[in-house]
Amino acid sequence: MKFKARWSRPRVPYPVSIRRWSLWGVLVLLVVSMLALLVWLAGTYEAAQVQSRVERDAADAVSDIRAALMRNVQSLQALQYSEPSPKSWGVDAEGFLREHRELVRVEWRNQDLRILAFADTPFRPPVFDRMGRSNMQSEVSVTCATALKFSGPAYTSTYFLPFADGLGAEMMELCLPLQSGGKPAGFLVATYSLQEVLEGLLGRQLTSNYEISFAEGDGTRLALRGSSRRGSRIFTAQQLMDLPGAALVLRMDSWRGTPDLFPNVLTALVTAISIALVSVLVLLGKDIRRRIKAEHELADALAFRKAMEDSLVTGLRARDLNGLITYVNPAFCKMVGYSTQELLGHSLPAPYWPPEFIDEYQQRQAIILAGNLPPREGFESVFMRRDGTRFPVLIIEAPLINAQGAHTGWMSAFLDISEQRRIEELSRTSQERLQATARLATVGEMASLLSHELNQPLAAISSYATGAINLLGDGAHAPFELGADLQLAMHRVAEQAERAGKIIKSVQDFVRRRDPVRESVAPKVLLDAIAPLINLQARKSQVRVQTELEQGIVSVFCDRTMIEQVLLNLARNAMQAMDQPDIQDRVLTLRVGRVKGEGSSQWIEFSVADLGAGIPPEVQPQLFNPFFTTKAEGMGLGLSLCRTVVEQHGGALIFTPNTPQGTVFIFTLPARTVA
Amino acid sequence: MQPLNDSLVYVVDDDAGVREALAWLLRSRRLLSEVFESAEAFEARLHIAKAQSQPTCLLLDVRMQGKSGLALFEGLIERGLHLAMPVIFLTGHADVTTAVDAVKRGAFDFCEKPFSDNALVDRVEQALQQSEAYLLARQKACLLNERRAELTERERDVMGLVVEGLPNKLIADRLEISVRTVEVHRARVFDKMEVKSAVELANLVRDAAV
Repeated sequence: MKFKARWSRPRVPYPVSIRRWSLWGVLVLLVVSMLALLVWLAGTYEAAQVQSRVERDAADAVSDIRAALMRNVQSLQALQYSEPSPKSWGVDAEGFLREHRELVRVEWRNQDLRILAFADTPFRPPVFDRMGRSNMQSEVSVTCATALKFSGPAYTSTYFLPFADGLGAEMMELCLPLQSGGKPAGFLVATYSLQEVLEGLLGRQLTSNYEISFAEGDGTRLALRGSSRRGSRIFTAQQLMDLPGAALVLRMDSWRGTPDLFPNVLTALVTAISIALVSVLVLLGKDIRRRIKAEHELADALAFRKAMEDSLVTGLRARDLNGLITYVNPAFCKMVGYSTQELLGHSLPAPYWPPEFIDEYQQRQAIILAGNLPPREGFESVFMRRDGTRFPVLIIEAPLINAQGAHTGWMSAFLDISEQRRIEELSRTSQERLQATARLATVGEMASLLSHELNQPLAAISSYATGAINLLGDGAHAPFELGADLQLAMHRVAEQAERAGKIIKSVQDFVRRRDPVRESVAPKVLLDAIAPLINLQARKSQVRVQTELEQGIVSVFCDRTMIEQVLLNLARNAMQAMDQPDIQDRVLTLRVGRVKGEGSSQWIEFSVADLGAGIPPEVQPQLFNPFFTTKAEGMGLGLSLCRTVVEQHGGALIFTPNTPQGTVFIFTLPARTVA
Repeated sequence: MQPLNDSLVYVVDDDAGVREALAWLLRSRRLLSEVFESAEAFEARLHIAKAQSQPTCLLLDVRMQGKSGLALFEGLIERGLHLAMPVIFLTGHADVTTAVDAVKRGAFDFCEKPFSDNALVDRVEQALQQSEAYLLARQKACLLNERRAELTERERDVMGLVVEGLPNKLIADRLEISVRTVEVHRARVFDKMEVKSAVELANLVRDAAV
């Protein structure tokens, strides 16, 4: 995980919603217009498709008609191959007309356009009944002239021929020049009904789909086939059909109405895709909103954590696997006096390492970076502030694991423990002072015992001195041998003086404040040291002192002065407990032995047993309370201090009833650590 | 004043240094002493030598292992020995009240350690004198009692009145006997009591009563 040391989140100054909603509006507008465009384009394309098909069909129709007319021309020419007589020609022509409904009349005319033979279609009454055939003579002649000029068929322009029943039809004449032996041999004139042309010459497929009509250039319809289902929109194609001598326009109107809104698959597909697109957009929008929300929450959480880190008094520092500093919090900067910029990216050795410890710290860092995690409870070290002052810190290291679970570095927490140290020191010195005071108090309480004990040798010395003076005063009348006697007396004086010195020394040893050094001390030494003081009390209280030392006991690791005080306190308490008139058997037992039980060979047990009245149940709970005492002259610090001292050594102080009566105080001390 | 040669000082102290020093000091003043390390040892000694004829004195430590000096003193009082053997307590500072109390109950004196040694020996000598005086008085009383034992009942009556200083006439009236008889009895009393005058007799009886 990479930490940004300094970061700030730019807050949007104006309301986010307006911008967002306008963006959304634009997006919707774009999508809708795109959709409309797509639909429109699709529709246009579709229309173009339809239009082109109509055009194609119109072209097909024109070519169909043209081909049919050509075939008819050939068929008509075939009527002349057999060199027919006008009579036989008429039979053939009638047969021919029976097969071709589009023709209403076929005439065989000679060079002068006189009719040699003719045949009318059998499917309708003769069409020229109402209007005589002669009325058409001019068109026929013009056409035939044209045909002669072309040496091929020629057509007249259309004309309206009224029928006898009042109706009429658009007709068109075909003139086909005949040749016989290379010479013109008359003409064949055929009359087409345009209506029948449409009916007969076009395939059903075309006629069922379209309204097909012949029209003139100005749009006038001449013949019509198929009925239109009129819609709002009709696809129309016009195809010019030019025939020799005439030109016709074939117009095709598609039956198909206005295309549907989604006229085909393409449009549907486009629409569907568009809908899908919109849906995806909506989903994306939702996702973005969710992301923005998450981003906000993340930013809030980050701000929260940032505030937390800034408010911490614990220094935090992150390093990557190479030991480069990647993050420090303000508390850490304040602690060491360097700015964040100075620390970030700094490699080992760190600027806050005291120069004298750099080697040691380098080794330690190497061990940590190698993956050997220091203990979870941390370790102590000494750092240097910018101004060069040293201060003790407690360091707690933890591996930095990123979101992917990879180990990316180390996070360390730092506690400045100089204040704690100072308080500890203060408390230690005050504790020491208290203990020294308690020792003095103990000696004070024993003052009468001490003075008595000192008075003994002093009295003896004084007696010898006075006696010696007496003897010397007597001079020659001395009853003894003066020299030998005085010598003896002086020996005794020396002995007694030494004895007094020992007493003073034992007291002094006890009271003297030694450095609080834990050392290896044999239990016997401890007992011997306090024996003179114990014996003082024992003599006064008529107590017999028993000392039991387990064989082969090892030394204990302790602060001598303090443990001696504990022993003396307990022993004095025990003797005072037995200093009651009704207690006859007064024995104080001091016992030292190993703690029994599994795995406890590291502990030595001291017990101080008396045969007193025991401790009343109501006193027991507050026995170790400071300033609690049952003695008139006591300060109530003895047992409380004893417990403190023993616990400082890692041991425990307890008491249990003794048998047959009295109390045993037991405390444990660590045995000398085996070197 | 020259102490009696046969006087004896008992020293009871559980501290060997002190008791030997005291013995030595006493010897330098030509006083015989006998030392004991405990009250029990001293009591045993007393049992052996019951009859006490020489002046003695007891230097007794108040605080000792075993039986304390005070307990020993109580025993002596019960047996009335503290008169013939004056007791001087040796005390430490803390035992002064105890010692004063003991003096009120009949101890000769107490002496606080460390003591002014010759002053102590002076007191010892005074105690020995008192002991001697007491022994003398007791000797006299014994003598008186021996002599008085020889008197008849009537002679004892007469002697009592004579000691009171009554003249013969009144004695005769009191006892309802003749003056003559009183004179005879009186002469016999003087004779038996080995005195020559009524004053001497009175002194003798008074001394014996101490």
